[in-house]
Amino acid sequence: MRLGRKARNSKHFVPPRLQITSMMDMFTIILIFLLFSFSNKPETMSLQKDLKLPESTAQLDYNQNINLVLSQTSLELGGKVIGSVTNGGIIGLDPQNLKTSKLYQRLRSTRESANELPGDTATQPHILFLCDKRLPFKTINSVVKAAAMAGYPNFQFGVLKK
Amino acid sequence: MSKLKRHRATTEQQTDIDMVPVMNMFLVLIPFLLMSVSFFHIKAINTSVPVLAQGKDAGHEQIHEKVTAIVEIEPAGFHVSAISDSVGPEELDKWDTRMAREDEAGYPLDQLVAELNKMKVRYPTSDTLIIIPDESIIYDTIIQAMDVARYYNNDSLFPNVVLSGKVG
Repeated sequence: MRLGRKARNSKHFVPPRLQITSMMDMFTIILIFLLFSFSNKPETMSLQKDLKLPESTAQLDYNQNINLVLSQTSLELGGKVIGSVTNGGIIGLDPQNLKTSKLYQRLRSTRESANELPGDTATQPHILFLCDKRLPFKTINSVVKAAAMAGYPNFQFGVLKK
Repeated sequence: MSKLKRHRATTEQQTDIDMVPVMNMFLVLIPFLLMSVSFFHIKAINTSVPVLAQGKDAGHEQIHEKVTAIVEIEPAGFHVSAISDSVGPEELDKWDTRMAREDEAGYPLDQLVAELNKMKVRYPTSDTLIIIPDESIIYDTIIQAMDVARYYNNDSLFPNVVLSGKVG
């Protein structure tokens, strides 16, 4: 402290300047990177850590509609868990009786309430379906069928850009 | 040293550009961009499942030779066939092809795209493909088959993909 004051008071003291050139370089690189990966769709989507989406050459952007996520452990509709996956089957989703499932009933009520909205009858809503790439078609089929029966036959399969 | 040079050396001072405002701007821009950056680029493939069709009056439509390609994904490989209202069954039978899996790792996607391309060249108005996977086929394989069936060298093959379960 004393030594510092002494040095500052001396005639030869030159105040140190902050060297910001290297910091500027770093910031410029970060800025360019961020500008390139800037997304015009900054919607937050909570994806499970174990969910592995397939890769595809698809270029189409998804529409923000109803999110249906099927991972190796659970089935989520709009961010809420409505079933669990065990041994390739979904608990609460009987393939022989899909109309009793929670998925069908929730989608049905969503569809009915959407139909009641004025001027919205002509639209064909899509379901954004995010599914783990390791799941067999047996598991996927019952989910897809239940959604189609509830009035959502059109899907957008969410994939990662190759 | 000449007089002019000496004069210049005494009057010119080395000046630094004030970078602080630029730094301030960067500090504002970077958090904003970080918030809206997407590290995963999620894209979508449009598809649908078969539904009961509304009765269409086909009488006014111009009849083109149009087929619907069917790709069955089986554990042993692909089975390609075609159905149509405007093409005879004998002609359609020619498109019935089986492609065996080369190895455990992959399906013969090259053969599939070549066959679908031939079909598209023969019936250019065709745009619909039905994919019927076996229950054991994993989702990744279905997406790979969809990928090659929709576009070939940036030309559209069968962009309307319908995913269906096997009946019976």
